[in-house]
Amino acid sequence: MIGIEDCLSEAMSIPGALGAILVDHTSGMAVAGKGIPDPGRAAAGLSEAYRATLDGIAMASQETGFRIEDVIVTTGSAYHLVRPMEMMFDGPLLLCVRLDVERSNLALARRRLRTITDELVAS
Amino acid sequence: MAAPTLDAVLTGLAQDEATGSLRVGKEGTVYYVRGRVSYVECAATPGVEELLGASGRISANGMRHARQESGSGGDGGALLVDRGVLSRGELEFCMLSATLDAAFFLLTSRTVRTRFRESDAHWLGVHWFFDVPGLLRECARRRARLERAWPSEELDARPVTPLRQIPGTHALLTRLQWELLLAADSTATPVELARRLGRPAYSTLLAVRELAAAGLVMTGETAALPKRTPKSPAPPREPGPAGSGLPQVNGDATDVNLLLRLRDALEAL
Repeated sequence: MIGIEDCLSEAMSIPGALGAILVDHTSGMAVAGKGIPDPGRAAAGLSEAYRATLDGIAMASQETGFRIEDVIVTTGSAYHLVRPMEMMFDGPLLLCVRLDVERSNLALARRRLRTITDELVAS
Repeated sequence: MAAPTLDAVLTGLAQDEATGSLRVGKEGTVYYVRGRVSYVECAATPGVEELLGASGRISANGMRHARQESGSGGDGGALLVDRGVLSRGELEFCMLSATLDAAFFLLTSRTVRTRFRESDAHWLGVHWFFDVPGLLRECARRRARLERAWPSEELDARPVTPLRQIPGTHALLTRLQWELLLAADSTATPVELARRLGRPAYSTLLAVRELAAAGLVMTGETAALPKRTPKSPAPPREPGPAGSGLPQVNGDATDVNLLLRLRDALEAL
């Protein structure tokens, strides 16, 4: 079982990780971050991006009651992975990792991210 | 001599690297560990105990036992983690979430009657820290976030009343917004609904303002007798979340029906 700080360290140990941040989606607050130059702005941006994804997919999809497993955005130099964790009374809490596109393995990173979030909220 | 403001008292304790609890009137308590804030309680917001209780993870009785067992100066939080009530990550998130929620309401308090108790600690123990400037900054950021959602305080302390009909034909709701609309009974305020639902009060306030922006709850403008306070700024028509600078188009079938009935009535004259 791990805490918030360990969860970020684990995320940073994913091969190719450049930065990791935990975001409280409801308030758009940066809970904690590593390797992120401006956590406040990053948190606001990532939580808006996640909200837009949720709303957009809800309108585009016929699937009822779907849950987002993760969001992957690929830019020229990086992968941005966002993984939501449902918390017991609020949330979700978003674990967001930025990975170097040259040095990382997307499939591996997704699996590691899932393991980390499972450890954080498992009781 | 002017009494010191609450901000000044909080900052002073941080500079003195104080450890203990600061009671703020009857409204709440701020817990310090070596000048940093470890927990905040506020009478208006649900604390960790209530949030955990409402989530069904532990009964009120179980919570009382854990509290007695941990004793004074103990670490009740660690005890709950050992019992498997919640994980360490969840405990940390609970503590920080409840602290920010309480701080948002407590730190606006006008009460300056404060009492500091040296080395008093919360029974749940210390699981997350905030420095005082960071806490005050986050409260300000949250206030700005509310203003962006719907720039008026008029709904914050009023009973939440869902509208009978929605504007347009579709509405997209979050889980909390849905729960709020179901729980709203035209008598409970957002903060009361938060307690009833076992949700943080700030999240509830934000959800109510978003519902107002989406035109789904009664506001001063939609009420039968509009009574706008002069202070409240204009409703966010243009820069609203769904706004695109275009006039609002309403293809509601009820409007068409109304027009048809009107035409028929006029023709019958």
